[in-house]
Amino acid sequence: MNVHTHHPKAVPGKPFLTLLRYNTPYWRSYLGGALLAAGFVGIGLAVPFVIRAAVARFENQTMTHALLLHYFLLLLGIAAVTGLARYWQRTWMIRASRKFEYDLRNDYFEHIQRLSPEFYHRTKTGDIMARASNDLNYVRMLIGPGIMGSVDAIRLPVALGLMLSLSPQLTLFALLPLPAMSLAVYYFVMQMHRRSKIVQEEFAAVTSRAQENLAGARVVKAYGIAERELRDFRERSAKYMRESIRLATVLSLGWPIIMGLMGLTMLIAVWRGGLMVIRGALLLSDFSCFLVLLMMLTWPLAQFGWILSVYQRASVSMGRMLEVFAEVPAIRDHEGTRHDIACLNGGIRFEHVSLAHGVASVLEDVDFELDAGHTMAVVGPAGAGKTSIVSLITREFDPTSGRVLIDGVDAREIPIRILRRAIGYVPQETFLFSDTILGNVTFGRPDAHPDEVAHACEIAQFAETVASMPEGYHTILGERGVNLSGGQKQRLAIARALLCDPRILVLDDALSSVDAHTEERILRRLKEVMASRTSIVISHRIAAVQHADLILVIEAGKIVDRGCHNELLERRGLYTRIYQRQRLEEDLEQA
Amino acid sequence: MSGNYYIDDEVHQKAYDSRLMKRLLVFVHPYRRLMGLATLLLLAAAALSNLVPLLTMRAIDSYIADSERILLQQRLTEAGSDSSPETVQILDERAKGDEQGLLTLVLIMAGLLLAEGFIRYGHMLIVAVVGQRTMFDMRMAVFAHLQKLSLQFLDRHPLGRLMTRVTNDVEKVQQTIVEGVVRAISDICTLFIVLAFMLWTDWRLSLVTLATLPFVLITSLVFRKHARRSYLAIRQKIARLNAYMQENVTGMREVQIFGREDRNYEAFRARNVEHRDEWFRQVRNYALYFPVIDFLGALSVALIVYYGGLEILAKQSIVGGYASVGVLFAFVQWAERLFSPIRALADRYNLLLEAMASSERIFKLLDTPEDISNKDDAIACKNIRGAVAFEGVWFAYEPGQWIVKGLDLDIAPGERVAIVGYTGAGKTTLASLLSRFYDAQRGCVLVDGIDVCDYEKVSLRTQIGIVLQDVFLFSGSIRENISLGNEGLGEDRILACAEHANVAAFVHRLPGGYDYDVGERGCNLSMGQRQLLAFARVLAHDPKILVLDEATSSVDTETEYLIQEAVGRLMEGRTSIVIAHRLSTVQNADRIIVLHHGEIREVGSHQELLARRGLYYTLYQLQYKDQHAQS
Repeated sequence: MNVHTHHPKAVPGKPFLTLLRYNTPYWRSYLGGALLAAGFVGIGLAVPFVIRAAVARFENQTMTHALLLHYFLLLLGIAAVTGLARYWQRTWMIRASRKFEYDLRNDYFEHIQRLSPEFYHRTKTGDIMARASNDLNYVRMLIGPGIMGSVDAIRLPVALGLMLSLSPQLTLFALLPLPAMSLAVYYFVMQMHRRSKIVQEEFAAVTSRAQENLAGARVVKAYGIAERELRDFRERSAKYMRESIRLATVLSLGWPIIMGLMGLTMLIAVWRGGLMVIRGALLLSDFSCFLVLLMMLTWPLAQFGWILSVYQRASVSMGRMLEVFAEVPAIRDHEGTRHDIACLNGGIRFEHVSLAHGVASVLEDVDFELDAGHTMAVVGPAGAGKTSIVSLITREFDPTSGRVLIDGVDAREIPIRILRRAIGYVPQETFLFSDTILGNVTFGRPDAHPDEVAHACEIAQFAETVASMPEGYHTILGERGVNLSGGQKQRLAIARALLCDPRILVLDDALSSVDAHTEERILRRLKEVMASRTSIVISHRIAAVQHADLILVIEAGKIVDRGCHNELLERRGLYTRIYQRQRLEEDLEQA
Repeated sequence: MSGNYYIDDEVHQKAYDSRLMKRLLVFVHPYRRLMGLATLLLLAAAALSNLVPLLTMRAIDSYIADSERILLQQRLTEAGSDSSPETVQILDERAKGDEQGLLTLVLIMAGLLLAEGFIRYGHMLIVAVVGQRTMFDMRMAVFAHLQKLSLQFLDRHPLGRLMTRVTNDVEKVQQTIVEGVVRAISDICTLFIVLAFMLWTDWRLSLVTLATLPFVLITSLVFRKHARRSYLAIRQKIARLNAYMQENVTGMREVQIFGREDRNYEAFRARNVEHRDEWFRQVRNYALYFPVIDFLGALSVALIVYYGGLEILAKQSIVGGYASVGVLFAFVQWAERLFSPIRALADRYNLLLEAMASSERIFKLLDTPEDISNKDDAIACKNIRGAVAFEGVWFAYEPGQWIVKGLDLDIAPGERVAIVGYTGAGKTTLASLLSRFYDAQRGCVLVDGIDVCDYEKVSLRTQIGIVLQDVFLFSGSIRENISLGNEGLGEDRILACAEHANVAAFVHRLPGGYDYDVGERGCNLSMGQRQLLAFARVLAHDPKILVLDEATSSVDTETEYLIQEAVGRLMEGRTSIVIAHRLSTVQNADRIIVLHHGEIREVGSHQELLARRGLYYTLYQLQYKDQHAQS
């Protein structure tokens, strides 16, 4: 498995090469579609000539009923063949574009899954999502309707040639407004984009104003400023309205102008062509043929401007997607990864480990050793760096200096999957997926036996909660389902971690929302589980940490004290103060 | 906004709901004249544009293919070189006349084209203006209604959802009611106008043209049924797909730590497959529909040519010349105009469904009753002394979970009361009840001996100045955040209050001074600075009663000093209820109330309570003792 190379099809900085690579597998569809297009465009161009022949028959009065029926059937036949060809063209090309969309979306998802926490810290969820939805959609627009429209454009030169062959003079006259029309379309599309952007910005302003108002509802109500808020919001909304009307003005002007230019083309043809017919310089049949050709020509020409804009938007959007593809995961397996390691025992050693995010130092010279099967506790004030220690073990981050060793091997050399599989992690804030309870508990081990699930839930004191749910383990959680309380979530998270049967169990302030009584029961049951594993317990509750083999006291990223419960109490340092606070809080709780 | 990808995927089942439509039309009503004008313009444009095929027909039949001129020409050709000079001259004149006639017609058509362009421009502009105005009105109505709803309502509904009502839903409704209604009228009118022109020109040829119409209608109906099913399925699937991706992005830490990448990728792929396959079905729907409709259009043209040809043949056999190729041109163009609105029908139907769903959500919000409202005979809260009393107050956010349990408390005008207690004791709730953010379930809260429920809401709240722990600042300047847009406050007053609240102490260091932009939610200022700014805000609005929830987060010593000083000034001459986190505040209070689990457990001064060695003593050790060491 080649985990660390990003997807070879996406080439950062080269949107069109990327598009080409992604669409190469479907070249048959595109080629077929193009050939079909060439075919039906050719056949379609026969229509004006059928009409010419018919009119010519009328002109020299050689038309008969049989001939007329013949022309009728010919027209019908052409329409039928064109229809069939169009069906296949649309099916092949648009289907291919949907397949491309599917491939790209999969790769995008796969790619973002590999990116490290550092990426997620600096990138908004909305941005990641916008690239996967709006931008992807623009790109597909080019590949599907865009290419299909471009292929249809082969009609242009052919029709032009035919018109020239009928009458070069008339062609030149009639086509006078056409370049203007294509330009007008392009101009209006660009104007539209520019104006739309302004409108979108104003819309965003309206949105954020409303959001601010709702978020600050307390202040708005406390100061009775709803009236003023209303006035302010009215101003913003009015501004948005004005800009929208401006955009509408551009649109309202653009469409009649384009339609007018198309009409003008026709008028010139009728006028100049009519004069030629009257003067005997052009046959009525050729004139009719010319008019029909012109009708077939104007629309694709107008479409030209649209295709240009699609092309432009798509290149920008593809570029935006490639920005994400260009992200290289900071933590990944590499040449030095020791793939011979298949399982871990769970001994942990930190050798003078420091960690910094940018210039901000998070951990400084942290040094400890925890034998496999032992329990270590980490205590200290909020923001002291307790969770950061854990994030180095799970390799969400790598140390800035020093080494983290697991079973004596540098964590950076252990395959990430092996390492993480060995860890059962209960995070500070539990994130649950909109899935069933079962799906969430078995998150780390989807193939777990129901008995094992029940056992894990029982240790975590979560089994009773499950039993009280309307559909037991199959109760759906999340926005569309049941919402669990903070304590219930934490207990689920403990069950989830236990089910992985980890060599290293990490409880990161995992019982903060659980009441004291339940906490005690969980801790008692956990003791059996922890006896055979390496455990790290982060907590501000003494009850949870006092039995640990080793307690680290952390302050401002440094270990300020270490030892067992009794040793630390004797030293009367930070640990003692925390301990006393804890006692006071317990007193209050019971008061 | 995270709510975005949880698209409200329920879709209104009926495309036309007269109950909803009636309510929607209320919003359009003020603009009914403009709408009428837009419809008239549209009719005019439709009539003009359908004149063009008629004139083209005349241009061809009367001038370009003038049968008399052609007959003359033929005779001339037959006569060969011995044709009479008169005939040549007659032909010349005839040709001249034809040229002249053609030019006149072309100029008329150019004029029509220009006029049509202007009319269409005017029409589109009016529709846009009316659409934007209705949307504006509707948005203001929704926003104004949201202002009336209680905190209880706002707390219970995710902000993202409410935002959608103000933004996207309003947008969708506007698109449909204005554009949709006008367009529907226009399509129907165009249809009739085309029909009238056709029948007037040649009723038999008209029937031939219309022969394919039933098939077009049937095809469209069948297509609409299938396309709609796929459309709904696609909407649902893309929502599921995006929601799953969003969930993974949010929970990526869990995904990676539990090594779920492969499995979640497979789950995502499965959703992606479903979405793609549904699109395949839709692609087939469209791929079938358009060619069939195009074919029917071509059939129509072929029929016109065939039947028209037969007519010409019949005429030729009588008159001998040949007539009306132009008619054919006209009918081909009319046929095109007849079919295009029908083609567009399917897409409009989907839009209508979405708009109906949106309008239903909007009206549901507008129908939510104002739950904390003024009584009919509510009195203005003015010139009060500032006495506050809680009498047997019980309150719960969730039924059965009492936060405040039978609280009795009397606070004299000008008294300084410190409320202390551990997390969850119900301290903040007292402030909410006093300002009527919530109403107590039992008992009552009195200001100057009158139940707060009897006061007019806004006047009551302006008498109570609240500073919350988490100070909320609006994006804008420091000045705006002090005045909160109250133009009655003069510059002098604002500066004086800023001075008094020690805001001036840091403002002069900021670029732009009082014009400095505090950023979204005040992110450009430190916590301490935000606190001071909130104090200035209270001073500027000069309430009789002050409710202060002191921030717990620590600030640097200098700011701490500034805050302490400002708090002292803030309380001068006001009834003050302070949820205290500062030792200095409790020490300076006239009375300390110890709140525990929603009940008053101890009352007294700092020294008295310490001596009692009860709850306050424990709290003191937990929360205030360390400050002693610092100060």
